[in-house]
Amino acid sequence: MNDRTTEARADATRTTKTHAGGTSTTAPPELAVRDITVRFAGLTALDGVSFTVAPGSVHALIGPNGAGKSTCFNVLSGLCRPASGAVTLGGTELTRLAPHRIAALGVARTFQNIVTTQGTVADNLMLGRHALTRAGFTASALRLPGARREQREHLARAREIAELTGLGAHFDSPVGLLSYGDRKRVELARALCLEPRVLLLDEPVAGMNAAERARTAEVVAELRAELGLSVVLVEHDMGLVMRLADEVTVLDFGRPIAHGTPDEVRRDPEVLRAYLGTDATDATGEDAA
Amino acid sequence: MSDRIRALLTRRRATLLTVAVLLCLPPFYLDAFWLRIGLFSMAAAIGAIGLALLSGTAGQLSLGHAFFLAVGAYGYTWLAGDPGPGLPTALAVPLAVLMAGLAGGLFSPVAGRVKGIYLGIATLALVFLGHHVLLTAESVTGGFNGRSVPPLSLGGFTFDADRELTVLGVPFGAEERLWFLGLALFALTWFTARGLLRSRPGRALAALRDSETAAAVMGVDVARHRSAAFVVSSMYAGLAGVLLALAFRRVVPDYFGLVLSVDYLAMIVIGGLGSVAGATAGAVFVTALPLLMTRYADQLPLVAAPGSAEGAVGPTEAARYLYGAAIVLVLLYAPDGLHGLARRARDRLRRRRTPTTVPDTAVPSPPPPAAAARPKEHTP
Amino acid sequence: MTDLLDSLLGGLALGAVYALVALGFVVIFKASGVLNFAHGSLLLFGGYLVAVLHDDLGFAGALALAVLVTAALAGALDRFLLQRGGHDAHSAHVQTIVTIGIDIVLLTELARRIGGDLLTLGDPWGDAVTELGPVTVADSRLAAIAVSAVVIAGVFALFRFTPWGLSLRAAAEDTEAAALMGVHLGRVRAGAWCLAGALAALAAVFLAAFPAPGLERTTGQIALNAFPAAILGGLASPTGALAGSLVIGLTEALVVGYQSELHMLGDGFGDVAPYAVMLLVLLVRPNGLFGAKGAARV
Repeated sequence: MNDRTTEARADATRTTKTHAGGTSTTAPPELAVRDITVRFAGLTALDGVSFTVAPGSVHALIGPNGAGKSTCFNVLSGLCRPASGAVTLGGTELTRLAPHRIAALGVARTFQNIVTTQGTVADNLMLGRHALTRAGFTASALRLPGARREQREHLARAREIAELTGLGAHFDSPVGLLSYGDRKRVELARALCLEPRVLLLDEPVAGMNAAERARTAEVVAELRAELGLSVVLVEHDMGLVMRLADEVTVLDFGRPIAHGTPDEVRRDPEVLRAYLGTDATDATGEDAA
Repeated sequence: MSDRIRALLTRRRATLLTVAVLLCLPPFYLDAFWLRIGLFSMAAAIGAIGLALLSGTAGQLSLGHAFFLAVGAYGYTWLAGDPGPGLPTALAVPLAVLMAGLAGGLFSPVAGRVKGIYLGIATLALVFLGHHVLLTAESVTGGFNGRSVPPLSLGGFTFDADRELTVLGVPFGAEERLWFLGLALFALTWFTARGLLRSRPGRALAALRDSETAAAVMGVDVARHRSAAFVVSSMYAGLAGVLLALAFRRVVPDYFGLVLSVDYLAMIVIGGLGSVAGATAGAVFVTALPLLMTRYADQLPLVAAPGSAEGAVGPTEAARYLYGAAIVLVLLYAPDGLHGLARRARDRLRRRRTPTTVPDTAVPSPPPPAAAARPKEHTP
Repeated sequence: MTDLLDSLLGGLALGAVYALVALGFVVIFKASGVLNFAHGSLLLFGGYLVAVLHDDLGFAGALALAVLVTAALAGALDRFLLQRGGHDAHSAHVQTIVTIGIDIVLLTELARRIGGDLLTLGDPWGDAVTELGPVTVADSRLAAIAVSAVVIAGVFALFRFTPWGLSLRAAAEDTEAAALMGVHLGRVRAGAWCLAGALAALAAVFLAAFPAPGLERTTGQIALNAFPAAILGGLASPTGALAGSLVIGLTEALVVGYQSELHMLGDGFGDVAPYAVMLLVLLVRPNGLFGAKGAARV
């Protein structure tokens, strides 16, 4: 289809091999966000946000509701074009690329509120393979052998990913019939089907019960250990953030107010003020939403 | 396990074979009236399947389908006829289909960027401008009176009543011969459309309909896929147009008006949006209803014979009331149409046979409201 | 020069009538997110009522009753059929297709009743003309311009100064928030449909008046030309619809007026000129000329 897809494809195969062999040879490229500003009709949603996601690390974005976390994700995945600033993945500038081009570079995301499509879990996961496959309208309509083989191979990989995320038993069930937690996991699995180098998770455990939260946290930790991918995490569950994140950036009213390791951020007075509106000193580690 | 799958496969193959044989029988038993109903239904089904891909699967409303039917019908007539290049008819058929696809492609700057129901209004332009061109470009289209359509001939075999032909004691006229052509083209449409729906492009289109954002971040090129869906749907419409032209033996501009576009929309809505089998059922319903009502007008209550006093409810009107109402009722009370009704009935039957603990997969999950299907924060 | 003035005045009159139709279309879209494909047959319904009633009630009485009944019909269609589907965006799409079904039924019935006839509406202008300097204008056209201007001003006042107008604008901004703030969506919607029905019935009178030969079953289709007008205006903007209507009306009148110079486009190109303009505009600006919100967001 185009060079980038091919490149992403090659990378994907590499990641797949890495996954199968268990030896991590290629680290994902560094994701750098520099001075991003986004305005909507006079309202500044993001104001000079910068951070860098080190290869293979988990970077959390936290902040009160309306702090601009999801807008930031929309910039990273190309859904929203910033007024100024740059986002680079390795050497590639992302802010001028369409969402599907960014996906082809290996940036996958989930949504805060579940966005699955009709059909089965398998259908949703195979949508995640879209950027890695190439069967076009003609080949698919005529059911050419190449297209059928490709579909078979990628279906097998999608099934593996379903097993990995605990969806194996639901692989052929319609998504509409799954529980809330399972549907959230379908989103995660679908993003993983892109064989991403950078995974953007927008509140992956919101609305889940304790057991489901634990399970998802486990999956994310495993992924990162096994696949070596970078994760950017937006989450209100501070327990989860503290456990998973290597670095944390705190946003408030679109401005970055703190940055550092979870421990540093937890003690930052600015952060406490943003969350609680007072100088309270002992309110960290709890669900601040 | 694999034995069961094999058994299932052979059973499917057996069903397919039975259906194919049954569909080959009518020319030997039914008269021209019924064969024409069948033929028009098959042509309509081909066009409807194309529209189902666009409007049902990709969620792009089109009221321009009649235009692409016209491109196919007139394209064939011109390519194979005089005035026109006078190509061999067998070559004119695929070229006419490609012409329809090309016309769809030329519209792609609009079809790729205007989405959902808004495309419905934009495509109105195609029908009205197309009709104007058909009336005006007399040297190509024959103007108001249209043109007669050269019969298709494939390797010396001609699809008309010219030379007498008897098969198994049954005289084969134009209808009998065209029946098999229609069947072959319909089978091709069915095969390719199902192939599309169940593979990568089909999933991408369905994703576009359910959530453009999710589709885009999963790597689907939104504008390209919207345009491609439009082109594919135009090509099916073109094929339907060719078959209709061969069946009518004459093409006239007034047939390809807005009413025809709305008919096709009615077919896919009544059939259940987005399914190949549903579009086929809807096509048969919308096509056969007025013809049957015309034939049996004298036996139907409330319906006057065609040509009776002005203002009486004729069969054509009665049919239009029925399917207009059907659109309203289907959408408000049974959104998945005939296809959904059939599926529910089948599932109920199956459940009665084998009680299972599997959750009821027959209940169609309501599509996520588009509002909820967007990320919470504003994405311009 | 006289020709040009003639065409411009004709275009203005036509644009004024399209504005009545397009405004109804936009109001419905704002209130319910539905594109009303039954708008043409609602218009025909209003015109038909005037045609059959004017002998008994006189023109004014017939028009008043027709406006009321058409408004009631439109409101009822929304309240009792469309609103069953709910108020979210997906339902709005389904309801748009439902209006196509409604259009089939309504149009078939009206076309059956009208048949091949040309109905007169008994309007007071008849074929009278007025001399305005060098040009001769049909009185019906002057009436169309005057009445439309007054009615449109009234509708804009309705938007701006009444609680209903406020609710409508709130609902168009954010359905959910409006509902939370106590806006009764069902009533706002039905009100919008009533208004649109009334405007359509009024427009029918001018579309059937001189120099048109009368009301025929295809008059509803002429009203479809207001669709391009609304699209040009960006669908959700009343002001845009107004501007779009004038553009469309003027284009159509100029194309008809200069038919002989434009003969390479074929006879009757005036009828389809609005669609040609719409296509050209959509090619350049998929959101319409004045569209901030509405059609085609990619």
